[in-house]
Amino acid sequence: MKKKSIDLWGVVLSYSLKIVMIILLIISIWNLHYIWIFGCTLALIVSLIPTILKRNYQITLPLPLEILVIIALILHVGGGLLGGYGIPNYDILTHFVSSFLIAFIAFVIIYILDEYWDGLKMDKYAMAFVVVFTTIAMGVIWEFNEWFTDIIFNTSEQWGYTDTLKDLFIDAIAGIIMAIVGVALIKRGSFEKLTDDFGEQIDKKIIKSKKVKKS
Amino acid sequence: MIISLILAIWKKDYVWVVGTFFGLFISILPSIIKKDVKFTLPWVFDFLIAIVTILHVGGRLLDFYYNIDNYQLITRFFISILVAFISLAMIYILDEHWDGLKMDKYAMAFLTIILTMGIGVILELVKWLNVTGTYYIKTNAALMTNLLADTLAGIIIAGIGVNLIKSGKFDELTDEFGDQIDKMVIDKLEERYKEKNK
Repeated sequence: MKKKSIDLWGVVLSYSLKIVMIILLIISIWNLHYIWIFGCTLALIVSLIPTILKRNYQITLPLPLEILVIIALILHVGGGLLGGYGIPNYDILTHFVSSFLIAFIAFVIIYILDEYWDGLKMDKYAMAFVVVFTTIAMGVIWEFNEWFTDIIFNTSEQWGYTDTLKDLFIDAIAGIIMAIVGVALIKRGSFEKLTDDFGEQIDKKIIKSKKVKKS
Repeated sequence: MIISLILAIWKKDYVWVVGTFFGLFISILPSIIKKDVKFTLPWVFDFLIAIVTILHVGGRLLDFYYNIDNYQLITRFFISILVAFISLAMIYILDEHWDGLKMDKYAMAFLTIILTMGIGVILELVKWLNVTGTYYIKTNAALMTNLLADTLAGIIIAGIGVNLIKSGKFDELTDEFGDQIDKMVIDKLEERYKEKNK
């Protein structure tokens, strides 16, 4: 009963955020901001991917993952369109949400592999440790992407030494927070409920462990 | 290392007398540990610790850091090789002796790369905070090339590690060390955990 009520609120939140995205698209069309018309359309398509995956491929992404994706997109598109990046430390907020999303995805993948794949069995605290380092490493890969883009296209994606380190620090903090939240959710059994459907679908389509779940 | 120490005394570079002495201590630490605590570190640890210490202390003493382009990148690369090897060895030992971790060799390789990259970032954050008061080049390019060196070192050790695991040589390399870690740390922690959950 409680899970159903949480799910319902999650679905309401997810649709509300999609409506916000549509409003942002209307604003960008109204102001004839062509780059943000393109940006909003792209973000709207990305936010509809979970629905497409569910309808066409019977893959149900965990609801928090769907919500985090949409929040990250709204913060970025909204920040660009409405001048949010002019607000002090707004970029820290967007970077943190993106890193937290990466950390959440990492935790979900590790948890599912631990449940269904014979090649991995991990204690929950070891999972948390790996999530922190995976988030930092993904942050490094992102910085490499910006660095190479700047070298090849002569852009200014990276603002400088301190800014790069600040981004990496935010990645680490997001990873640590997700690790703590994840361990707490595993202890309560909520993480299992959260990833149950998705795990079984991934198992059927990719891992093919031929079993319901590891004990 | 001993030659470095003599050179430092001869040059009257007392800061580096202390530096080389400390480096010498680190490089003979594996032998000290083996004698006093009955701890046998894999010979690769000995070798890598000695290389890193010689490169760093020698570089400072003979001014290679200032005279040779990208010298710091070479030392950083070898530090990362050492970090990657330690990471892989610890993962392998935990996989062998701890109930809380069972891992496929390719997952171990992936985790080795991730850990080497992550520890590299921690190292950069420590430099940024300037805890040691030592001078470091603080430019975005230097930061990114250091992180690239970490990543490459992680990938190289992961590749070598998987091959060594396949051939059974990694097991031979870490066998004794793993048993000692198991007796001294893992067993005790597991006992404590069991008692706590009784």
